[in-house]
Amino acid sequence: MSNLSYRVCTRCVMDTTDPDIVFDADGVCNHCHEHLHAIATQVHSGQDGRGRLEAMAEDLKRRYRDKPYDCIIGVSGGVDSSYVAWLVKDLGLRPLAVHLDNGWNSVIAVRNIANMIEALDIDLYTHVIDWEEYKDIQRAFLKASLPDVEVPTDHAINTIMFKVAAKFGVRTVLRGGNVVTESHHPARWSQGHLDYGYISDVHRKFGSGKVDTFPHLNFPQFLKMFRGGFVETIDILNFADYSREKALARIETDLGWEDYGGKHHESVFTRWFQGVYLLRKFDFDKRKMHLSSLISTGEITRDQARAKLQQPTYDEALQEEDNDFVAKKLGFTRAELDAIMAAPPAHFEDFDSWTRRLDGPAFGMVKRVYRMVRGKAQPPSASS
Amino acid sequence: MIGNSARIIPCLLLRGEGLVKTVKFRNAKYVGDPINAVRLFNDLEVDELIFLDIEATTKGREPPFERIAEIAGEAFMPICYGGGVTSFDQAARLFKSGVEKVALTTALVDNPGLVREIADTFGEQAVVAGIDVKKDWLGKSRAMVRGGGRKTGYDPVALAKRAADLGAGEILLTAIDREGTYQGYDLELVKAVSAAVPIPVIACGGAGELPHLRQAIDAGASAAAAGSLFIYKGPHRAVLVNYPRRARLRELLGA
Repeated sequence: MSNLSYRVCTRCVMDTTDPDIVFDADGVCNHCHEHLHAIATQVHSGQDGRGRLEAMAEDLKRRYRDKPYDCIIGVSGGVDSSYVAWLVKDLGLRPLAVHLDNGWNSVIAVRNIANMIEALDIDLYTHVIDWEEYKDIQRAFLKASLPDVEVPTDHAINTIMFKVAAKFGVRTVLRGGNVVTESHHPARWSQGHLDYGYISDVHRKFGSGKVDTFPHLNFPQFLKMFRGGFVETIDILNFADYSREKALARIETDLGWEDYGGKHHESVFTRWFQGVYLLRKFDFDKRKMHLSSLISTGEITRDQARAKLQQPTYDEALQEEDNDFVAKKLGFTRAELDAIMAAPPAHFEDFDSWTRRLDGPAFGMVKRVYRMVRGKAQPPSASS
Repeated sequence: MIGNSARIIPCLLLRGEGLVKTVKFRNAKYVGDPINAVRLFNDLEVDELIFLDIEATTKGREPPFERIAEIAGEAFMPICYGGGVTSFDQAARLFKSGVEKVALTTALVDNPGLVREIADTFGEQAVVAGIDVKKDWLGKSRAMVRGGGRKTGYDPVALAKRAADLGAGEILLTAIDREGTYQGYDLELVKAVSAAVPIPVIACGGAGELPHLRQAIDAGASAAAAGSLFIYKGPHRAVLVNYPRRARLRELLGA
């Protein structure tokens, strides 16, 4: 990134390290506009929000009265998902908690999940990814110099959610996403989450390419996902006046939840990935997203955020320890990991993917034919 | 046996590079990476771990030396290893790589001299006699070898006495019919064997809840080992490595 073209939003701290960022005449970025729009259209606070939550809960109870569960929730041991579990029980629902173990769980995360399911009397379903396979996939993404090293885990979580939904006949997933605190997200900082074509191309070129058990979608499932998916997802924290402080107080008291210090520090890998790898190699500082959310909602000032960004992402001695730990666990020597850190970054577009296949000429023709047939067969208003 | 000196030991099964969990020695299900599990058990302040390679003997392989060295290197607690140990040199190599105890099950029957040989050099505390027990069609308990695949004709009490005479320092007594079933230990078996030998007995197979551990100790075992209990949670057998906190263990085993 040349300094000549560097530019930062006049309202938040997002800048041209997001290659797709756009500024308006006042220098305000697209993320700020999108955030305000999302809050205005998707967030319901106070009595209005509670009323909507209760109506949703009644609807789920009715729809799934013959099933063992009313909904599925994902659990990681972190604040958001623990609070979702608490809230779902508070609404009188019978959730099934689903956890994906990718081999990087910290003991605190594991203990938080155990305490939570015990305190709330929730059934848990886990899937453990075969570590040797997953290690090979993670190594491939790092060797390929891509920023999307956590994308395979996200892909696996999605896949497991579909499987669990089918297995128990419950297709509603209540999630911990929320538009107030999770905004300002540059698409290019991580992409290809549903695109197993991408993951497998990276793995083919930089790993062993052999996959026996790694949970993944096939191409028809990918197309179906694009058109609404197998599961219905509801971000319930948008209706719950969500704040991290409120959630923390609640889960610490009621669930015996323990802090591991820092958002997304539930595993050493996530901490290292966000605090060392993305920042040093790509100049992607995920703190900018979170701090910009806080500026956008008036919780901190822009100057406070800029001061925070001057600080290291986390303790620098611990960063060094993490470098050693990550290298050892993934089977790299320190020299190999350092070489990866120094290599020029690569991008999603450098690899084959299902997304590319969809945009390519062959599928373009299929799409045109499909639209033509559909257009003739159905009135335009019926299209969904 | 004084309650609070009883040991509670997670028993973990290796297959290839991964950790698995079986039911009645069958249907091995992948439950994670052993190194990661060891790190979790370190943090959970576990005093001792047992690792058994369930395929080494049946596939005629040597113990996975490098993998065990990695595991022992990562573990804060003493490790007992069993599976595929057929010679003194193999045992010596395992001790050198950081393993504290070696468990012999098939070798105990096929090559009993090995028990004495290892005990003479490394001490009796270094040799654990593995006795896997299955009820035959008459309901009689019989010792099995080769991962429960071959009958020996030995009564477990007789075999345990023989093991103690040979110099084994401890007996790892596993009820195959209970393993992975959550039904509780075979307490009759634990009682019979514990009463018959002067050396400590580790009860294994069947623990489904914490009170089961206490029952094994009350039946005469010096230690209770469990797999599913410390790996799984709840009706869907969700993999979630866990171990009771010290206070809970004291409460369970004390008095």
